[in-house]
Amino acid sequence: MDFTNINFDQLFGLNDDTNPIMMLIWIVPIIIFVFYGQRIQLSITSGEIKKGIKKLEDYKTKSRNELIDYIKKNMNPKEDPTKKIDRFLDYFTIMPVDMDPNGIVAKVRHIVRTREDYSREHVKSLSPQTSDLELTKIQTLLEIATSLQMIYKIIHHLFLTAKKHNNYPLILPLQMILPFILEEAEAMHKAIPAFKLGQPIGDGIGPMVVGKMMLDTKKESIAFQTILSETQHDGRKLFLLKAEGPGSTVGRPGDAVELIVSKNKPDIIIMVDAALKMEGEESATIAQGFGAAIGGIGTERFQIEDIATKNNIPIFAIVIKQSIQEAITLMTKEIADKADNVRSQIYDMIHENTKPGQSILLIGVGNTMGVPQ
Amino acid sequence: MFTKEKTIFAYTVEKCTNCNLERKRRFTEGDFLFAETSKCNSCNGVTIIEKIFGEAIEK
Repeated sequence: MDFTNINFDQLFGLNDDTNPIMMLIWIVPIIIFVFYGQRIQLSITSGEIKKGIKKLEDYKTKSRNELIDYIKKNMNPKEDPTKKIDRFLDYFTIMPVDMDPNGIVAKVRHIVRTREDYSREHVKSLSPQTSDLELTKIQTLLEIATSLQMIYKIIHHLFLTAKKHNNYPLILPLQMILPFILEEAEAMHKAIPAFKLGQPIGDGIGPMVVGKMMLDTKKESIAFQTILSETQHDGRKLFLLKAEGPGSTVGRPGDAVELIVSKNKPDIIIMVDAALKMEGEESATIAQGFGAAIGGIGTERFQIEDIATKNNIPIFAIVIKQSIQEAITLMTKEIADKADNVRSQIYDMIHENTKPGQSILLIGVGNTMGVPQ
Repeated sequence: MFTKEKTIFAYTVEKCTNCNLERKRRFTEGDFLFAETSKCNSCNGVTIIEKIFGEAIEK
């Protein structure tokens, strides 16, 4: 037999679509993809998600270990705190029933504050002589570690559920949200050194601006971890409000505004806060607007809006744009450099919207870590 | 194509309340904004911490 004279075109039927070998080459993969396509996609996607979950696990473990090390070093507890810390990390919060939303804000506030107050007491019980400044730092580090643990648990649960049932559509939403979750988790993990060292974070730009205006004024504690002072500017009375620095706290501006308005109703309220920038927006840009500029779960904003509405007080806002990572990690130079500009915009806003003899409530909103007054 | 690793260094900027001279140095633990630090090298006035920030250096 002469093997040197094989016609490959004839053998594989390249000139003829009805060749059975060619048909198999086309049809077999189609059949495989019809029946096993989702499983193949599931295994490819699983690989990517596993990498993300591994990162989340690393963040969770590192934040827990760093918290325990920090407590051992700075609180000098008599007993090993590891067991207690692990219990604190598993604390959960059950939000109130929202079938009847009437009065839900007060319920949410009550539950959130109960959690904060009791967590603080439990952390303090590790070493009662710990200073309030250290206590606020540790409470924030605990919040970070708890959040990272919760994120890891939820994402891992969703992933395992999809894998268990070999359910590709179930893994799709996870694949879509994972990059955003990873961005937030990475930001939280990177925030740890700033809180340990007591450095101001991007979110602290509001307290930084107002805190400088409070220097050399008489200050009083108006609400829990919240400081008020009074000063004059160009014939107007200025009430300056911020969280009590240099600890890591946002204070309770809602309670403070309620008290201030009940005693001396201001003519306008100005709120200065950090705001999340949109993709493509330049970091550290300043924008002015209307309404209560305050983040968080929404209870403080509700309280301030409610008081302002009942007393017909206009609310103005100045925000400094930044990314989530910039907001919770060490303040960048670009943001810090904008403090004087923000202050001059506040004075412009006061001149444009009030007359001499009127009063203004200026609130520096945000975490006041490393920013005294 | 390859992203360079960035390291963040913390800096403290001290400003003289008298002559407004600014001095930038590395952050040390215990630095807080508006805290009085040292005497001004130029006019012997009081210097306070004006800014604390981080700057990224590419490696």
